[in-house]
Amino acid sequence: MLSRYTKLYYLFCKQNLKVMLEYRMDFLLGVLSVMLQQFAGIFFVKIVFDHIHALNGWTFYEILFIYGIAATGRSIHHIFFDNLWTLGWQYIRPGKFDRLLIRPINPLFHFIADRLQQDGFGQLFIGIIVIGTAMPHLGISWGILEFFILVVMIIASGFIFVAINLFFATLSFWMVDSLPIVWTIFNLSDFARYPLTIYHKGIRHFLTWIVPYGFTAFYPAAYFIKGSGFERLALLTPVVAIFSCIIAYWFWNRGLKAFTSTGS
Amino acid sequence: MIVVKNLEKHYKIAKRDPGLRGAIKSLFHRKFETKKAVKKINMHIKAGEMVGYIGANGAGKSTTIKMLTGILTPTSGEVKVNGIIPYENRQQNASHIGAVFGQRTQLFWDIPVRESYELLKHIYEIPQAQYEETLKEFVDVLHLEPLLGIPVRQLSLGQKMRCELAAAFLHRPKVVYLDEPTIGLDVAVKVRIRAFIKQMNARYGTTVLLTTHDMQDIEEICQRIIIIDDGSVIYDGSIQDIKSQFGDKRVIHFELEDAADSFVLPETISEVTEVLPRSDEDPHLVSLSFSNKNISGAEVIHTMMNHYSVADLTIADAKIETIVEEIYGRGMKKEVQHEEIH
Amino acid sequence: MRKYIEFARVQMQVHAAYSAWFWANTFSILLRMLVIYFFWKAVYSSRTEIEGLPFEGMITYIIIAMFLQMFVSGVGQELAHTIKDGNVAIELMRPYNLITRLVAMDLGDKVIHFVRGALPLSILAFIFMDITLPSTWQSGLLFLFSAFMGIWIGTFFDLLIAILAFWTINLWGLQVMKEAVISFFSGALVPLILFPEWFQTISLFLPFQAMVYVPVAIYTGILTGTEAWLALGSQIFWVVSLFVLLRILWSIAIKKVTIFGG
Ligand SMILES: Nc1ncnc2c1ncn2[C@@H]1O[C@H](COP(=O)(O)OP(=O)(O)O)[C@@H](O)[C@H]1O
Ligand SMILES: [Mg+2]
Repeated sequence: MLSRYTKLYYLFCKQNLKVMLEYRMDFLLGVLSVMLQQFAGIFFVKIVFDHIHALNGWTFYEILFIYGIAATGRSIHHIFFDNLWTLGWQYIRPGKFDRLLIRPINPLFHFIADRLQQDGFGQLFIGIIVIGTAMPHLGISWGILEFFILVVMIIASGFIFVAINLFFATLSFWMVDSLPIVWTIFNLSDFARYPLTIYHKGIRHFLTWIVPYGFTAFYPAAYFIKGSGFERLALLTPVVAIFSCIIAYWFWNRGLKAFTSTGS
Repeated sequence: MIVVKNLEKHYKIAKRDPGLRGAIKSLFHRKFETKKAVKKINMHIKAGEMVGYIGANGAGKSTTIKMLTGILTPTSGEVKVNGIIPYENRQQNASHIGAVFGQRTQLFWDIPVRESYELLKHIYEIPQAQYEETLKEFVDVLHLEPLLGIPVRQLSLGQKMRCELAAAFLHRPKVVYLDEPTIGLDVAVKVRIRAFIKQMNARYGTTVLLTTHDMQDIEEICQRIIIIDDGSVIYDGSIQDIKSQFGDKRVIHFELEDAADSFVLPETISEVTEVLPRSDEDPHLVSLSFSNKNISGAEVIHTMMNHYSVADLTIADAKIETIVEEIYGRGMKKEVQHEEIH
Repeated sequence: MRKYIEFARVQMQVHAAYSAWFWANTFSILLRMLVIYFFWKAVYSSRTEIEGLPFEGMITYIIIAMFLQMFVSGVGQELAHTIKDGNVAIELMRPYNLITRLVAMDLGDKVIHFVRGALPLSILAFIFMDITLPSTWQSGLLFLFSAFMGIWIGTFFDLLIAILAFWTINLWGLQVMKEAVISFFSGALVPLILFPEWFQTISLFLPFQAMVYVPVAIYTGILTGTEAWLALGSQIFWVVSLFVLLRILWSIAIKKVTIFGG
């Protein structure tokens, strides 16, 4: 079962990669533009830190580290799960979703595997470079364990992005296209680029317990920052990721059921 | 193979008054209109049968097929395909059915046809040897060879449909649903497609349920037809039966010199003939339907010539087309019923 | 002329119909304002001024710049898609100038955006976020004029980029790239005076600072007197040159359609 899906995913990916390589210029343009976009954000932080030493007690490299984790986590979503954006307008509205329902495989799997988004690689590169730049300046020694935890945290961060988008994309089953909502919620992740401590308490709780974008960057990063005071909460990151995914998948199945009974 | 009992599907359509006020009102108090797309239909299709499922646009054909494939859950009633309830065990059902939905592609848009088939091979877990054999056969019958290397988006409609059809049969499904597979195609492609479907049925005993507006498709492929009108099955039987049952039916199309707006049936034949609904396209056309048990065609023509100046006429004989035309004609006169629920 | 006004009017109605996107936009802008506010609050928590700008001046600059940035893009996307799906050939046969039509629609868009989105939101910002009015009424007037020019520069630039769709496929990438460059050089994220010297010198020769930085700097009193008038002069220069460039590139592109079939 699992091996069958792994094999299938590999085959889907191979096809997607072939298409990508066919349009090499576009691949480069996409990657480059996303890198530039990410770079603009980092450059902004750099400019600000040219004039200040610390933001609410956080140093430049700490902010950079948070930023890097957010970018890397988001790139997982961007590369592998980008199709979530298109559920309403490319699948449900033109009736293309029916195609997925007459195949003997999980429709969510089929839907996700249908596309690989090349542009996300730009985000991944930048994210890794930024993390690499910030790492030596955090005042901890990096051993195997730390690396391992970092990787787990980043994957968890990616899956929180996925779960949140999946949850709100699922609304499309009831309202044809929930893209405006998905987009608005996604914009909330802008908050996650900076330490949550700079925000009002209400915002902080909202981003921790309701729409858990806090766990996509700030908390996982805080785990590696001495004296941040969030080391314990940070350990919850994988738990939050699993939990969010379960809720989102449950909701997706509800949506699917509603879709097959209204048929629009 | 396919058993359908008292199957119903009601669509709920949200009604909204226009404008901002309507939008706000609908937030609090939604009005729904129920559309009964399929009403208590029954059918029993045996393995290996090829059945034509016909009816006017909006009669409920696609809705029925969606329920049979498991895409749509019925409002009430029962469906069993090969012993499986499709909408409850959708994935299990999916592995032994194939489907073609009109002009919507089942293939993968950006990748070459051959690669699409490769993916389907894995999705349906087709053994390699069987896959190669089947593909070779399909390539021969449907002349796919030159198309295999081309991405689907670059194919013409006819080419695409041939590829679609091959995809639907690739895993040797027990049942194949074809929802208007010949729509918009030229005659040569239609002939090829018909031959292919017949061959699949002969070789693998595939059960086929076919909807189409082309009666030639039906006459060549199907032994049996089911006619649905406004959600209800109004005929279910062999083509032979329908021909002998309605075999005495005749339709004559008269092309009048003058516009036929004020046309009234001549009194002497008004008891035994009937005027079919007029088409908007040709204002001069009048079509009369009658049974040749009651009146002969010659007499109808004679009477008409006496009362009107006839420019031209065509006699349609007891082809399936005529019969269906007649049945549709009656169906259309019925009023569509809506119910309003709050 | 009449028909272009009609296009603008229809576009406004189209917008009024898509209320889901309207609320999504409004809400997203509110969120952005919150992030900006808290971020700069934190920046200023241990100081009173940066490069001579106090907190009020900074937040005023950033918020006004954010609003202005929303208006410096145009209908490029629309044009690019028309080119991409091949409809441009059909559009060229119609009895109007495609570019003028698009600009008219864009104008309709911008008016409705201003009235329904930017205006109420900026009033909110004035009330809740320590935003200040322009220092003098002259600089207020000058700002209006300069913002007007900045919007035209942005509109033309957007169309210029869109025409590149004749030669490339990844429209989304092109769009993202353009937006990144604009946020970099236009001063939409932070006043250009905070940038290193060399960067400021480079941006002096680019059209981007004329889109956002110049008007907002005039508003907040960063640019005054002769400096302000010089900056206005450069804006006029950019409007004219981009317009001419747009004309030239468009006629080359059209030739490509009519001769090579797109
Ligand atoms: N998703 C839907 N929501 C509401 N009404 C629908 C939907 N799909 C079909 N209908 C309505 O149900 C009726 C039957 O449609 P359909 O099954 O598509 O007919 P056919 O395939 O025979 O042309 C039509 O009146 C159609 O308008
Ligand atoms: Mg149909």
